[in-house]
Amino acid sequence: MEQELAALTERLAALESASAMSGTINSEIFYWWCTALMIAIHAGFLAYEMGASRVKNVLASGIKNILAFAFMVPTFYFFGWYIYLAFYNGLIPAADGAAGLPWDMSMGPNLADNATGIFWAAFTLFAATTASIFSGAVIERIQTAGFLILAILLGSVVWILGGAWGWHPTGWLTVKFGYHDVGAAGVVHMVAGFFALGVLINLGPRVGKFNADGSPNAILAHNIPFTITGLMLIIVGFFGFLGGCIIYMPGEQWINIYGQPATLSAFAFNTLMGMAGGIIGAWVKTRDPFWMMSGALIGIFAAASGLDVYYPPVAFVLGTFGGFVVPMVAVQLEKMGIDDAVGAFPVHGIGGLIGVVSCGIFAAGYPNVDGMPPVSLWGQIVGAVTMAVLGFVPGYVVSYILKVFGLLRVPDHIQEKGLDIVKVPVSAYPENYTPGPVNVATPAAAGTPAE
Amino acid sequence: MNTSPIESWEGAEAYFTFADKPAVMMLFLLLAVAITAGTIIIAAVHEKHAYNNH
Repeated sequence: MEQELAALTERLAALESASAMSGTINSEIFYWWCTALMIAIHAGFLAYEMGASRVKNVLASGIKNILAFAFMVPTFYFFGWYIYLAFYNGLIPAADGAAGLPWDMSMGPNLADNATGIFWAAFTLFAATTASIFSGAVIERIQTAGFLILAILLGSVVWILGGAWGWHPTGWLTVKFGYHDVGAAGVVHMVAGFFALGVLINLGPRVGKFNADGSPNAILAHNIPFTITGLMLIIVGFFGFLGGCIIYMPGEQWINIYGQPATLSAFAFNTLMGMAGGIIGAWVKTRDPFWMMSGALIGIFAAASGLDVYYPPVAFVLGTFGGFVVPMVAVQLEKMGIDDAVGAFPVHGIGGLIGVVSCGIFAAGYPNVDGMPPVSLWGQIVGAVTMAVLGFVPGYVVSYILKVFGLLRVPDHIQEKGLDIVKVPVSAYPENYTPGPVNVATPAAAGTPAE
Repeated sequence: MNTSPIESWEGAEAYFTFADKPAVMMLFLLLAVAITAGTIIIAAVHEKHAYNNH
C-alpha cells in the first residue's frame, strides 16, 4: 500500500512538472508569434514610407527604415531592456534592474529561463515600431547618421523609459496615479509622435513644400496603393503588438501589464471596434483612402488605453471620433509650416493623446491591485503630459544638436536632385527610365490594310 | 464619472464599462448603430452629389 502511494505521489509530481513546463512553453510560443506578427508592422511602415516618397527618394526612404530596425535590435540588447527593468521609479535605477544588463546570465540562452529572451524580443519590436513611426515623418530630407542617432534615442531609450514609468507593474505613474494604458497609446504612440514633432521643428520641410508666403504645396506620394497596403499590414501587425500587451499566466487567467485580470477576448472586441470606427470617422471627414487606413490606426489608438475594459460600442465611438478629428490636426500642422510627410504626429501623437485621456473619462474608477490608485481622469492627464514631454524634449534637443553639427538635414541641392541617385547603387524602377523600342501601334492601326 | 461596474477584481465577471448601467450601455449601442447607419446615408448623399457634378 505504501509503495503504491509513493508511486502515485511520484506520478502526480511528474504530471505537475509536465503541466508546468507545458504552460511555460505555451507562453513562450505565444510571445514568439506575437513578435513575428509585429515584424509585419515594420514591413507595413516600410511600404508606407516608400509609397509616400517621390520616385527619386523611394529606396533611400526604404534603406533608412530597414536600418532603423537593424539598429534597434542590438541597442535594445545593450541598454534598452535594462532601462525598462531598472528605471520604473523615475531617473534613479533600481538594483533589480541589473537582470537586464547585457552580461547577466538571463541575457542569453539559459535552460532555467524561458521568459527573458522572448519578452526582450517583443519589447525590441515595440522599440522598432516607435522608430518606424518617427521614420515616416522625416522622409526625403534627413541624413542617415542623424536619423539613426535619433531612432536609437527614441527606440532604445526614450519610449522604454516611458514604458518603465507607465507600462510596468510598479512604474511610478501606475503606483502613484493609477495610470492605465494597456495598449500603449501613451507610452508608444504619444512618445513617438511628440518625439517626431520635436525633430520636425529643427529638420524643416522638404524643399518645395512651402512657398515664400508660407502657403503649402502638395508633395504627392508616388504610390498611394502601396501606402494603403502598408497601412493594412501595420494593422495586421498590431494584433501581434496588442497580444504582446497582455500577460500569459500558465494555469491562470490572463493579466494586463499592471497585474489586473483581463482577457484576450476583451482586446479582440475593442481593437476591431475601434479600428472600424476610425475608418468610418476618417472616411466621413476626408473620403481619402490614405486617411481611411490611417483612421484605422487612429481608431485603435483612441481605444488602446482601455482596451481591456471598454464596452465595445464605446471603443467604436472613440475610434470614430479620433478618425474624424485627427485629419483636421494634420491640416493645422501644415498651416503652422511643419512638414510631417506621413502625418506621424497627428496619427500617433494626437491619436494616442485621445486614447490616454479618454480612458480617464470612460474607464474612471476601475480598481487597481496591491493598493494602487484606481483609474482616474487626473492620473490619465498626468500620464499624457508626461508622455508628451518625454517624447518632445529629447527629440527637439538632440535634433538641435545634430543640426548644429551638420548631421541632420540633407542639403537642399541634393534634395532637388533626389537621394536615390546620389547614394543608392540601384534604381527603384529601372525599366521606367530605360530607353528602348516602344510599340506604338494600336490593334486597330495594326490591322489597317496599306493603301 | 465612475464607469466601472466593479470595486474589486475578486469574483469579477462581466467587468466592462457601464455593465451595471443598462441605460448607458443602450445609449452607446444606439450611438454606434446611428453612426453605422448614418454613414451609409452620408455615402449615398455624397455619391449622388459627386455623380451630379460630373
